[in-house]
Amino acid sequence: MNTDDLIAALSADGGPRLTPEGRMLRSLPVAVFLALVALLAGWHARPDLAQALASVAVYKTLVPLGLAALALWLVQAICHPESRIRAQTGLLGIALAALTLVLGWTLATTSAAEMVAQLSTPDLVNCLISVPALSVPALVAGFWAMRAGAPRNPVAAGAALGLMAAAAAAAVYSLHCPHDAVIYFFTGYGIAIAVVTLIGAALGGRLLRW
Amino acid sequence: MRAANRGDQRAYAVLLGAIAPVVRGIVRARGAALGNEHCEDIVQDVLLTIHLKRQTWREEAPLRPWIYAITRHKVIDAFRARGNRVDLPVEDFAEILPAPATEDPIAARDMARVIDQLEPRAAQIVRAIGIDGETTAETGARLGMTEGAVRVALHRALKRLAQLRERMIE
Repeated sequence: MNTDDLIAALSADGGPRLTPEGRMLRSLPVAVFLALVALLAGWHARPDLAQALASVAVYKTLVPLGLAALALWLVQAICHPESRIRAQTGLLGIALAALTLVLGWTLATTSAAEMVAQLSTPDLVNCLISVPALSVPALVAGFWAMRAGAPRNPVAAGAALGLMAAAAAAAVYSLHCPHDAVIYFFTGYGIAIAVVTLIGAALGGRLLRW
Repeated sequence: MRAANRGDQRAYAVLLGAIAPVVRGIVRARGAALGNEHCEDIVQDVLLTIHLKRQTWREEAPLRPWIYAITRHKVIDAFRARGNRVDLPVEDFAEILPAPATEDPIAARDMARVIDQLEPRAAQIVRAIGIDGETTAETGARLGMTEGAVRVALHRALKRLAQLRERMIE
């Protein structure tokens, strides 16, 4: 088959296609809704939710939400093969550096006994399982959208998606989680988000190749 | 491309026809050692990918950087598969002159082989529309399918082609 014939076959298959962004707009809201419903049905919201959201503890929702928004911006850009993603990765880097500083400050100012007390709860395991579980809908929706894209680096693209899905799931889970200690947040949410990011990277290497 | 994404088939054919020499120029410049036939196989890979990923081009963005990015991605793949290490800084691409096909039409070998691996009906449709220059309506009438069904079958066949090429490379 010569190249002109191929062009003839390709042009007969032309026409509008849904962009990666178009797919995200359709699938991600559904995924977030599913995660919220699952949380309310399976985990239940914390009883003092209104008070918690009006207090400092709201950081447990806002920080993951901010991370998810940043990661979503990166995911969107990474779908286009020619795009530069310096702004996105730069801002994400700054955010992670700031979080590391907060973690360091917390470790320095909290006594060991206090930390052990804050972390000694079976809820920690619950958190480490729940956040990845709640991120499944967003992962599925995101991979469906990103498969329409053309990321130069599929592994990095998968990692960005994993971060986005897990951070969103953590924000959802925070509506249930009754532990507000910063060290608990970093241990439970941090490890869960890191694990899902790695899963996303591994899946990305397989699902996002083109 | 804008017209093509709205479904203007002729505009799309003209556009792909204009893109092909640019892609060929890049592939030839980078892979002179591979020989013309191999290069043409890679050109076809790139065109197939441009087709299947056309929704990743942003309407407000210039087309060239996008084409270079896709070409670079597929060319690296192809050279790697053929055992050559390549380093392709994207800035170089802009300076490469388009290369017309030398002996036109060039018959690339791989694509024909891959089409043979398709299901008979899918292969028939791709050949009818590509080589015999039939429209989807004519193919549909001949094979007793609706035009819509031919379009769907053609689209699936092209996606499958891309998968099979990918597998060949591995």
